[in-house]
This record gives sequence, structure tokens and C-alpha cells, in this order.
Amino acid sequence: MHRLLDFILWAPLVGVLAILLIPSAKKEMIRWTSLLVTAVTFGLTILLYLKFDNTLTGMQNAFTVKVPWISQFNIFYSLGVDGISLPMVMLTGLLFFLCVLSSWTVEKSVKAYFALFLMLECSVFGVFLSLDFFLFYVFWEVMLIPMFFLIGIWGGENREYAAIKFFLYTFAGSVLMLVGMIALYFVSGQGVDSFNILALQGGHFTDLTLNVFGTTFSFAKFFFIMLFIGFAIKVPVFPFHTWLPHAHVQAPTAISVILAGVLLKMGTYGFLRIAFPIFPGASVYFKEAIAWLGLINIIYGALCAMAQTDVKKLIAYSSVSHMGFVMVGLAAMTIQGTNGAVLQMFNHGCSTAMMFLMIGVLYERSHHRWIVRPDGTKGFGGLYTQLPKFSIVFIIAMFASMGLPGLSGFISEALIFLGIYQEFTTITVLAVIGLLIGAAYLLWMFKRMFFGEVIDSVKDYEDMNSREIMYMIPLCVAVIVFGIYPSPVLNIMKASVGSLVSLMAKFH
Amino acid sequence: MDLGLNYLASVSHYVPEIVALVTMIGVVFLEATYDGIEKRTMMFSFAYLGLFASLASLSLNLSSEPTAIFFNAAVIDPFSTMMKIIMVFGTIGSIYMSQNSRDIYADFRSEFVLLSIGVLIGGMILASANNMLSLYIGVETLSILSYVMASLKRNDELSSEAGLKYSLYGGLSAGLMLFGMSHIYGVLSTIQFSEVSVALKGLSSSQYGILVPSFLLFFVGLGYKIASVPFHMWSPDVYEGSPLPVTTFFSIVPKVAGIAAIIRVSHVFFGQEGILQYSWVALLLVISVLTMTVGNVAAIGQQSVKRMLAYSSISHAGFMLMGALLINQDGASSVAFYAIVYLFMTLVSFYVVGYVADYFGNDDFERFNGLIHNHPLAAIILSTAMLSLAGVPPLGGFVSKFNLLSAVVKEGHYTLAIIAGLNSVVSLFYYMKIVRYMILNKPESEEKISGFTKVNMTVVGLVAAPIIIIGLFWNNIHQIASEATLFIQ
Repeated sequence: MHRLLDFILWAPLVGVLAILLIPSAKKEMIRWTSLLVTAVTFGLTILLYLKFDNTLTGMQNAFTVKVPWISQFNIFYSLGVDGISLPMVMLTGLLFFLCVLSSWTVEKSVKAYFALFLMLECSVFGVFLSLDFFLFYVFWEVMLIPMFFLIGIWGGENREYAAIKFFLYTFAGSVLMLVGMIALYFVSGQGVDSFNILALQGGHFTDLTLNVFGTTFSFAKFFFIMLFIGFAIKVPVFPFHTWLPHAHVQAPTAISVILAGVLLKMGTYGFLRIAFPIFPGASVYFKEAIAWLGLINIIYGALCAMAQTDVKKLIAYSSVSHMGFVMVGLAAMTIQGTNGAVLQMFNHGCSTAMMFLMIGVLYERSHHRWIVRPDGTKGFGGLYTQLPKFSIVFIIAMFASMGLPGLSGFISEALIFLGIYQEFTTITVLAVIGLLIGAAYLLWMFKRMFFGEVIDSVKDYEDMNSREIMYMIPLCVAVIVFGIYPSPVLNIMKASVGSLVSLMAKFH
Repeated sequence: MDLGLNYLASVSHYVPEIVALVTMIGVVFLEATYDGIEKRTMMFSFAYLGLFASLASLSLNLSSEPTAIFFNAAVIDPFSTMMKIIMVFGTIGSIYMSQNSRDIYADFRSEFVLLSIGVLIGGMILASANNMLSLYIGVETLSILSYVMASLKRNDELSSEAGLKYSLYGGLSAGLMLFGMSHIYGVLSTIQFSEVSVALKGLSSSQYGILVPSFLLFFVGLGYKIASVPFHMWSPDVYEGSPLPVTTFFSIVPKVAGIAAIIRVSHVFFGQEGILQYSWVALLLVISVLTMTVGNVAAIGQQSVKRMLAYSSISHAGFMLMGALLINQDGASSVAFYAIVYLFMTLVSFYVVGYVADYFGNDDFERFNGLIHNHPLAAIILSTAMLSLAGVPPLGGFVSKFNLLSAVVKEGHYTLAIIAGLNSVVSLFYYMKIVRYMILNKPESEEKISGFTKVNMTVVGLVAAPIIIIGLFWNNIHQIASEATLFIQ
């Protein structure tokens, strides 16, 4: 049990080695190996959930691993899990497992695809499990390499541009984070705990100042902004969002799912784990600004989504909008707001994954994604009568994404609104408009694609096959069950979120 | 006044240089005595033997006490020894490359070996220089032989142009440097580095007025050797025109030697706080930022991979200058660390680029199209080297940048660290360009490139392995680099 986190983290990498040993002609064997590896990994995350103790705040000592890595710099290989990272770890396990199923139809360089895919899973787990800032940074960056190739090789027409843009943006953000990390190492005394994320937390650096070009800045505020930019690019927070539509649209289905479902959450996770607790004073100082940026995300993302004629791009922008809710919820720094934000991270992971998977299913039949083609004709029409099974799953996904009561998105959005109303009344009112636009663009898209006259090209589409239904079922169950009964997830995070919020409250 | 060891006693500390010199003379004899294939194998084995012997004696020196030798003309300290080890490795690596390169005329191979060992000796003198005269001798030995190396491909227009350009710029900068040195001598009335700290005390303001411009002139010579902006104009043309093994050699040995000299000079003349230190740090700061930025930005638009690597090596020199301007041991150690990783990354990338360029006759980006399909291993290794050069973890290049930035941040140069960081983002763009050609593009044909033989790939793999190993486990290398202390009297 003590080594469970090690197993979760390294199991995908063992899978990579296994795949590299299989000759590339044996495609089926490669697919089944990846499925097995991701299934085992997901099983391990469920085991982690079962062994998890809800009552503990902070890291669960039963699972913590800490081994010296680079002794001169006091860098440790140190892993741990708490109520904030566990939902993310489980989401990662689940989505990678389902995405292997959805990637069954990939035919181009299967071996390389699954090897990179599992490498990506390893690095994502690394980000969510690391308790050492240096280790966190390494995983954060390593993630870019498989991602670059997955978009660049298996993506759509403009894949190279999208891949390099994604790589450069994130790299730029993380370089700023790197400087912040090194600065923290020195101001915290270069001791045993100087890269220890937990020991850095608690606002030890509130009174420090630093000198840049003869001007004195508050150390905490200066480096909070550095970390903020690093994480904000990943979320993405307006105005750092411009890489996202390209990356999403060009990426192959499974990679879009992972990108929207898991990778965007790494940004908000970074706020929760690093930026906020390490610089609580600065975060409180900037919280209004963060909330306004989040609001821009909500409204602007929703309006952009409404204007799209490419359905995948529409969903991509809807992610921008939904991540705005997470940002606003985090900025409120109240119990309900933060709980809602973490829950929204999990729920949005499920619902947006469903949307992207459904669009992938559709794309395999239509080979285009136009709601309205550039020449003004309809891209789809009357899907509802042609593909009944597909339409039902799509409706569930769409309503979950919209936040319809009874589905999971509603709970988290309601919690976020409860949390932010206490802090920012204006923003709450304006954010509700975002919700409204959200309903509008989704329903409008649905109307244009599923209702109306059945256009010719749609007539020979086949409905979802059993493999496709199989990988949609777990997500459907998740959005419905957590919509009615969210306690399993909420209970996990309660204690950890509580301790974070009480830390922030000291700096109000 | 401690004069250091006398001539006879000094010799035992100077074994690596002497071994290298003997190797060089031996190569001349072998060249003259034997003919044909026999000559080549004999000569190469002898050169490797000599250089490895020199390497062995250097590693013995690494742990010995720092000593000033030849009446203070040179100093043997762990830092200079470390830099010399890197230079010897770089020379061995380039000689291996020259063995089969089509860029070097078959009957000029021994000349390449001869000249490169000569430049190496110049670099060793420079790294150990402990007075202005030996510094100048080092620079000149290094330069004059380099001019010949640049034009080694003498029937090629570009190569001849490279040699001429190099010598014109080099001659001018050496002259300016000597001019600066003579003024410094005029003010301080000593050429010995060991006496500088005493001589610097109690100068009048008019003497400072002469010193500051003299140091500027002095820097021209050294800045030219490492191709720092604005003395970098020669470098892309020379790098492009020279045969590939020469380019490889140039981007390692003279650069490392120049950086070592700049670090020593900074410690000797500017170790004490004051107006001199302040202006020197400001000068290096501006030059370092300019060097890395101009190098990176210019690299983006290049059509030739060799030229791109030339500009990228300019920007790496800018990075290493950051370590020099700190004027402390951390800075020197992190530069040593950086140079170790830089050595491997540069060798690997030039090896792979060299085999491709040799086969196709040019090194445009298009030649790398779809390399992954025909030569997966070579493409993966070159991609690793590129990612490492850009500083992506978990590779050696990241760790070396981390070390350097740590030293910079420790001194409170936050802005410099951020600029350097953003520069590596720019560099990522052009390093990924070649990765994109290799991996994302379709191959033009199914031709196998003849250079990627099993033996060559093993060598490339062995040189590439440290990039990954250092990236993951850098305890030992960091330990070695931090023990590379400077000895300043």
C-alpha cells in the first residue's frame, strides 16, 4: 500500500517500455497492451480512492513517498495525495482508459501513438502527485513533449502550427514559473524544505521585498504574478487562451479529450496547490482581478463559442467559458467557492470529455465538423432521426455541460455561485449571463445539427457501435450519479479544501 | 611577493599541455614518414592516444592543490583543469568527426588533426593564463591556427571567405586588445594577475578614467573569441563556410577557452566592489542579454541547419556570460556545468547533421524531411539533443540552465533570469523546427544515409547518453562542477 502512488505513476511508463518491445506490425497487440495498462492504472486509482481517509486534512501519510533525488539542491522524489489531487488523479485514470478505447481506430503509426499516449499519462500523474516543486516542474514540462508529437503527427490539417503554438505558449509560462521556483528556493534558505511544496505553503514570504531596476516590489506579489502567468496559460485564462482553439481543433479526438479533460485542470490545480497557498497574501490582494479575468473567460468564451461554425471549435471555446467558472470560484476563496471549483474541475473533465468523444464519433462518420459549411450550406441536419443512440448520449453530454439540474455540472456551478455571491456580487450577476449564453450556444448548435431536414450526406451514417457506447457509459453514469449524489467527490475534498480556505482567510 | 614555482618545478604541473604538444609534433612526423591509408590509421590512433593521455593527466590534476607556475605566468586550478578537460573532449570529438567527413579533403585529414591540437594548446594556455602576456599568447595561438582551419576546404569559395573574414576580424580585435592591455599596464605597472589587487588600490580618478576604456578594448579581444554581440558578425559566415568538423570544433574549444578567460579576468580585475566592478558587470550584463537575444532571433530565419546551430551557439555564449558577470564561485561552477552539457549536446547535433549533410551535399532543412522513417534512431537522438539545447526537462540542457539561473537568481538578478528564460522559449522555436522536419514531415525518398553505420551510431549514442543521464541524475556532475574552484591570488 505504501508504494501505491509509485505504481500509479510508473505503471504507464512500464506500458511504454512494453509497447516499444512489440513489433510495430502487431497493431492489435499494441492496442490491447495499452488498454490493459490504462485499465490497471485506473484500477489502482480506484484502490487509492477506497483506501483514502476522508477525515484527514493535508497529505495522506499512508501513501506519501519521499526519497532524496538531488542532494545538493535538496530536491526530493516526493509524492503524496490529498483531497484536491485525488479527484484529478481518478479523472486522469478514467479518461486515459476511455481514450485508449476511443483511439482504437487510429491506424497511423500505432506503436508510436500509444507509446506517446502512455508517456503523457505518466507525466500527468506526475504533476498531480508531486510534492516537490522541482519534480512538479519536470513533469509539467515533460508533458509537453508527447503532447507536441501527438498533436503534430496525428492532428488535423494545421497540426504543425497548433502543436508548436501549444508548446511555445506553455513553455513560456513555465519558464516564468521556473524563475519563481528558484527564487523561492533561495529565500526559503536553501534548506531541506526549500523545494517542498507543503513546507513553502503558509505565507512565509509576505514581508519580503525585491529590487528590480531600482524599484522595490513585494516579493510575494512579483512572483505570484510569475506563477499566475505560468498557470494561467495552461487554464487558459484570458488573454492567454489563444493557443487553445488551435490545439483543440487540430488534435485527434483522444488528445482533445485529454487536453480539455485533464491538462486544463493542471493549471487550476497549480493555483490550488502552489500559487495560492505559497503566496496567500498576494492571492488575496489580487483576487478581485483574478475574478474579473475569470468573468471575461466566462462571457468571452461563451460568445466566441456562439460564433463558431466548427462544432469542435465551439466545444473548445465552451471549455474556456467553463474554466472561467473555476477561476471565479477559486478567486472567491470561500468554502463553497473552492469546493465548487474543485468539483467543477472534475465535472467539466467528465462532461467536456463526453462532448469531444461524441464529436470524434461523429467525425469518423462525416469527416468534417461544420455546423454550417463556409459556403453557407448545412453541414449536418436531422441527426436525431438518423442516429437515435448517438443523439441520446449527446443530449446527456450537452445538458451536463450546460449545467442542467440533475446532472453534475449543475451542482458545481451552483456551489460556485453560492461561494462567489458572498464576495463579488456584481461578478455573480454577470456570470449568470454567461450561463445563459452557454445554454444558448449549445441548444442552437443542437437545433442546427440534430433537428430539421435530414440532409443527404447524413443518411448513410451508422449509429454508435458497441465499442463507442462502451466508452461513453462510464462518463454518462458519472455525470448522472454525481449530479444526483455528489457526496462521494465532495467528501474527499472537503477536509483539504477546508484547510486551504482557512489558510487564505488568515490573509483577508 | 610569491612568484609561484620556477620553470623546472612547474613542468610536473604542465604535463597535459606538454603531452598535447608532443602529440602534435608526433602527428607531423607520422604525416611525413608514412603514406596512404597506413598513415591515416597510424596518425589517428596516435592522436587519440596522445589526447587521452593528456585527458588522464588532466583528471589527475583535477584534485591537486591550485598552483601558480612558471613564475606566475600560468595557474593550474580545478576550474582551468575542468575547462581543459572539456576542450580536450571537444577536440577528440571533432577529430572523430573529421575521420570520415567528406568536408575535409582526404589528404588534409592530418592537417586537421595537427591544427586542432594546436588550437587546443592555445585554448589550454588561455584557460590557465595568469598574466596578460600568457593571455595574449593564448588568444593568438588559438586564433592564428583557427584562421587556417576555417579555410581548410581551400577549393571552396565560402571556406576561403571564412578564413579571410576570420583573420581580418581576428587581427583587428587582437590589435585592439593589445592596445587596451598596454594601457592597463601603463596604469597598473604590472602584467601579473597576482599583483593586480594590490595595484588597483589607491588609484586616482584620472587613472580610472584611462582604465575603464582600456578594459573595454581588452574585452573586445575576448568577446570576439566567444562571438559575443556586437563582435559576432564573423561567426555565422565562418561557421557556415568552414568544413563541418571545423565548425563543431569552433563551437566548442575556442568558446570554452574564451569563457574561461573572461571568468578569470573578471575575478582578477573586478573582484573588489567599486566603480570598476560595477561598470564591468553592467557591460557584461548588457552584452550577455544582447548576445543571447540576437543569437536566438537571428537563428529563427536560417535555411541552413549549420548556420542555425552557429547562431544558437552565439546565444549559448550569452548564457555562459551570465555566469561570468556574477564574479563568484557559483557562477564559475555553473558555467563549468553548462559547458560540460553543452559539449555533449553540440557534438551530438553536429554528428547527426554532419552525416546527413555529407550524404546530400548540403544541410538545408529539407534534407532532414522524414528522417524518422529512414533512420529512427538518428532522428530520435537529434531530437533529444535539440530539446536539450532548448532546455526542456528532464534533459541535461535543462539542468545546466537550471544551475546557471540558480546562480543568477541567488545574486538577485531576477530580470536577467527572466530574460534568459524567455530566450530559451525563443530558442525552442527554432530547435523544434528541425524536429518538425525530421518527425512531422514526409520523407522525400527511402534512401538510407550511408553515414549512419552501426559504428557511427554507437558513438553518437554514447555521446548522447550523458545528455539524458545528466538530466536525471546530476548529483555527481554538480559535485564535480562545484569543486571546479578558481584560484585567485
